[in-house]
Amino acid sequence: MARRRPVAGDRRNNGRLLMRRFSLSLSAIVFLAIGIILLTLVTYSPLPALAASLASPEIQFAILLSLVTSTVSTLVCIALAIPVAYSLSRYRFFGKRVVELVLTLPLTLPPLVAGIALLLFFGTTPWGKALDQAGFGVIFTPLGIIVAEVFVNLPYMIRILRSSFSAINPRYEYVAKTLGCTESGAFLRVTLPMARSGLLAGTVITWSKAMGEFGAVLMLAGATTMRTETLPIALYLNISGGDLDLAVAAATILILISLVTLCAVEYFDRDVHVF
Amino acid sequence: MLRIESLSITLGEFSVRDVSLEIRPGEYFIILGPTGAGKTVLLETIAGIHTPDSGRIILGDKEITATEPRLRKIGMVYQDYMLFPHLTVEDNIVFGLRQRKVPKEKQQALVAEMCAFLEIGHLKKRYPGTLSGGEQQRVALARALVLKPEILLLDEPLSALDGRTRERMRRELSRIRKCTGTTIIQITHHFDDVFALADRIAIMREGQIIQTGETSEVFLHPVDTFVAEFLGIGNIIRGTSSRSGDIARIMTRHGTAFFAASGLTGDVVATLHAEDVILSEAPFASSARNCLSGTVTEIIPAGSTIRVILDVGFPLTALLTRESCHELHLEPGSTVCATFKASAVHVIPAGSI
Repeated sequence: MARRRPVAGDRRNNGRLLMRRFSLSLSAIVFLAIGIILLTLVTYSPLPALAASLASPEIQFAILLSLVTSTVSTLVCIALAIPVAYSLSRYRFFGKRVVELVLTLPLTLPPLVAGIALLLFFGTTPWGKALDQAGFGVIFTPLGIIVAEVFVNLPYMIRILRSSFSAINPRYEYVAKTLGCTESGAFLRVTLPMARSGLLAGTVITWSKAMGEFGAVLMLAGATTMRTETLPIALYLNISGGDLDLAVAAATILILISLVTLCAVEYFDRDVHVF
Repeated sequence: MLRIESLSITLGEFSVRDVSLEIRPGEYFIILGPTGAGKTVLLETIAGIHTPDSGRIILGDKEITATEPRLRKIGMVYQDYMLFPHLTVEDNIVFGLRQRKVPKEKQQALVAEMCAFLEIGHLKKRYPGTLSGGEQQRVALARALVLKPEILLLDEPLSALDGRTRERMRRELSRIRKCTGTTIIQITHHFDDVFALADRIAIMREGQIIQTGETSEVFLHPVDTFVAEFLGIGNIIRGTSSRSGDIARIMTRHGTAFFAASGLTGDVVATLHAEDVILSEAPFASSARNCLSGTVTEIIPAGSTIRVILDVGFPLTALLTRESCHELHLEPGSTVCATFKASAVHVIPAGSI
């Protein structure tokens, strides 16, 4: 008995060592694979070729259109998500569970499905047509890009802000009210500033997701060169048309944006686990 | 004066039912009760955070039941202070003055005055997250007091502090009340707060006020066994303490003195559990330092035990079993000796009430 015990212990140690080696090697392989795949893309075209592609009017247009639409759609998301997230975190109301479910659904929905739903809504329903006649045409227009991006990204923004607001004790607002704030004043001066990191993280994520949005945009705004051509659409059009250099240029920019986003989120707040 | 008339409100699992209270101007009023009694909801409703389901709140000669919290002139300090973490100490204190659009120069003067009063001037530029519990407490008090509220509501203000800081803050609260004359309503479950600070107390259970009265009156005459058991202690004796060798000699206002194991001198409140008082027909030799003779004034049955109230120069309550009471042939008017150990007496400073 006395001699067997150490043997059993060694075996356990061996098992632990094996587990450690196995998982560490697998981690190294996955890390290398992802790194090499991304590097392949970034280093595909030599720098001069990349610069030339970036300078082409088509890519420049795509960059500008992507920047404008993502920025506008992010602002719309913020404006809508703040009150919605606040009411979800603070108030009880009839049918709250259903509302939460519906608001979360687009998160798990493939963007293509979201896009086709939008297309049907704006294309076939009387109110969609009325909007079109009122000058709010979204089908195959740049405006459609914004609408598609808002639809897909709003649930993210609401979720992030909601968890930020929920983490803030409502008593901060109570105290603010006894100190002379109105209801909205207490929110603007206390709760919103306290939710700052969540708001920043949400904004960066929403914006970068909008920059990369493809499926919903393709369905609603279409893929028209130099009209509804955002960066992902440019990538898609050029890869379809065989112009690999332009496609790679668009992809490179999108990778850079992802990298910057990741760093920004890490910087703003380590506590907001959004990914 | 704050008058609450038949106030009822239900919030989730907490409720306040048919509460009526009258709090006099300048009074230090303490609401005692077990956890979940609805004390915080009551305070928040007084502050105007929640609208009551029924009942009225009247401050002075104005009904404020439907008044917005910001117009009530009622300040509130929570147990966890609720200092705004994104603002410096100074900005926290000036917050209310900014909301009231007080002129800049006046803001600064008021903040400086309040910082000096509560000795927090050196903390002005710090953020609340870097302060100790006692410091946060003083900043929270400054933030509420700088608006000169008619009523200050304190929700368990001392329970998050450690022993020594708590003692200090208790003196601070007593000083605030004395210097500002603010009416204070406090929630607590610390009896020391009650003895050291309260003029009158209310006992709350399951959303209802069960008893209200002068502190010593409530302790001497609990209305039911719940209050008696909840208060437990039985005796609160005010007096002046002086050193007598290693222990304290406490002289009561009625001229009777007794001993307590304490180093405190000056005005004190002594508390003594009713069950620590031994009654006998004649004095007997023992290690107990106190043996006072007096007469029985009242005998109150309380379940399996009996509370005997004596006059030994001051009112003193003893808790006896029915058997002991019977064997001693106690009845109102009987002469007895009350014996208790100096170490059974708990002494706290009386503040400046």
